[in-house]
Amino acid sequence: MKLGAVVLTVVALLLAVGTGASADTILHKPIYMPDTTHVGAAALQPPPVCCAPAGPPVAGEPAPVNMAYFGGHVQVTPKIYLVFWGWGEPGAFDHTTPGMPADDPDGAAARMTAFVKAMGGTAWAGSQTQYYETVNGQNVNIQNPTNVFGGVWYDDTNPIHDNVSGLELAQEAQRAVAHFGITDLDNSQVVVAQPQKFNEAGFNSGAGYCAWHDYTQPQYYPGVQPGISFTNMPYVLNSGSSCGQNSVNTGFYAGRLDGFTIVMGHEIEETITDPGAEDVINGVNLGGWYDYAAYENGDKCAWVGYTEGVAPPSTVPGGLNNITGNDGKQYPVQSLWSNGSAGGAGWCAGAGDDLPVTG
Amino acid sequence: MRKAFRAAGLLAVTAALVSGVAIAAAGPSATITSPTAGEKISARHTSYLALAGTAAFATPAPATTRFYLRRDGCGTSSDNPHLSVTSGTDGGDGCGLVLTIVGVGGTADQGAFVDYPSTDGMPLTLDASQPVTGTIDLESFGITDPLAAGIGLVTVSVSLEALYQGNGVSVGSDSESVLVTPTQTEYPVAFTIHPNGALDRTDLSGLDLRVHVEGPYAFSGFIGNSGKSFTDVPAWSASFGQGIDVSVDDPTFANAIPARLSGATWSVAVPTPAVGTHTVYARATQGFDTGATATRSFTVTK
Repeated sequence: MKLGAVVLTVVALLLAVGTGASADTILHKPIYMPDTTHVGAAALQPPPVCCAPAGPPVAGEPAPVNMAYFGGHVQVTPKIYLVFWGWGEPGAFDHTTPGMPADDPDGAAARMTAFVKAMGGTAWAGSQTQYYETVNGQNVNIQNPTNVFGGVWYDDTNPIHDNVSGLELAQEAQRAVAHFGITDLDNSQVVVAQPQKFNEAGFNSGAGYCAWHDYTQPQYYPGVQPGISFTNMPYVLNSGSSCGQNSVNTGFYAGRLDGFTIVMGHEIEETITDPGAEDVINGVNLGGWYDYAAYENGDKCAWVGYTEGVAPPSTVPGGLNNITGNDGKQYPVQSLWSNGSAGGAGWCAGAGDDLPVTG
Repeated sequence: MRKAFRAAGLLAVTAALVSGVAIAAAGPSATITSPTAGEKISARHTSYLALAGTAAFATPAPATTRFYLRRDGCGTSSDNPHLSVTSGTDGGDGCGLVLTIVGVGGTADQGAFVDYPSTDGMPLTLDASQPVTGTIDLESFGITDPLAAGIGLVTVSVSLEALYQGNGVSVGSDSESVLVTPTQTEYPVAFTIHPNGALDRTDLSGLDLRVHVEGPYAFSGFIGNSGKSFTDVPAWSASFGQGIDVSVDDPTFANAIPARLSGATWSVAVPTPAVGTHTVYARATQGFDTGATATRSFTVTK
């Protein structure tokens, strides 16, 4: 009897240890943006945090149920830092374009930089202002400043290679923190953009996502400074229409870079509203805003209205569309989940094709 | 001193006129005539330093670039439809979409238009005062050659898009119809595009010809390649975008100063640098071409 009890206790302890270890290991995933053919794929989302009142979103449609606040910080005054890692290193591109820089032959870096400079103060980014963090019992709402551009760094010093790992991206983000002299990590995010021929391994493998964002914690990114919100931004043109090429603008050249601002905008806005990337560390939820199925404001509106050219996505309320940046230029984006839309039921908003207001 | 400059300028112009063809073919170039080599300049008497030199550029002449519609395969993962200034036998010659055949009375829309982006022949300085012309070789599949199975009116639509300063800009479009009959297998469909005037004399980084075939037909709508389909784009042999960049003590031209061009000479005034030896760098640019860098060292004294 005694022996039996001891054995049972040991088993229970092992189970407890095992569960705890696997919880940290298995529960943690970056927050992926699925490509157009993997919307709703469970493997590309963290497990539901609760009872999942709604199933996976239907491809091309918003994911219902409003988001909730999970207690972590948000980026009240966001600053976005762009790192073009290795874009000027040998072999980064397999082509050149007359009149374009050798380290940006398609103009993707220029487009992403222009977008970050232009997104501040737009109605699109304005949807973030309804979300907040609670500090000492006070709700502090996210702002929508005109200038969210923190800086840009063409890092051709630290060697990149193809199939870089998430850890290597986190390490690059840490180098960026040092390069830019970032001290306010809570309000800063680093986008690590990769060139055509050197991309993150999961993206290359066809795992089904276009990008992801995450938050550095020692458990997941050992040796990396904790508390860095960063985005893995592959060269999404490699995935063509699966990651947004020509999804808004139909011209061969006019829509060639659509995916860069759609995908990066998705990750940037998710990071602003959920910089902790849904991490739960020692029982403390670092996450900001997402729904009970673990979908953030970008996930819930990914690829809405996209029908591969059958009809313009902007014909669907909340569909992909061009917005006008604060520089007066047009940038294709996806909409963002707004709890306040549709009379408080929530909808995808901000892309200029919101649900019509009905009496 | 000024007279000497003028003489040098005249000499340069004369030389250009005498050997006009050679000069036109050459890329942009620049020399520095002031300051002179090793010149000593008093900072006390010269708050602004006059820099000057000569410049030469290729002379833009009317030209037309023919781009062939080429295709490496048909229905493969590497069909690679593209525009090229060279012609040859194409593995995807005569490719079309058979799944959209509906027969007489229906509308078969190839829907999945085909983009032919340029892979060479760029950059190109567009002459938008002239029409873009071309031919799409529409083929009607013949089961028993020379008889074809196609019949009915087919519309061939083409639209040309340019890559200009990193952005896609529409050049223009055209739609032409052709009556397909069973007695003929090939239909060279001529098209004419009147270019967007805003693009006149601009330097284009790329061109894309989008071809869309639709109409009631059967066993037609295939596009012939291997030299049979092409577009002629009016152009200039050289760019009208000419400039001189000047830099003091920085060979990378990170903070280049644009100089004023006047015929075959250039000039610009810059604040006189600190006492010591300095180097002026100058280079000519024409469109996307950059000439060799000219250098000249001088000394600023108290």
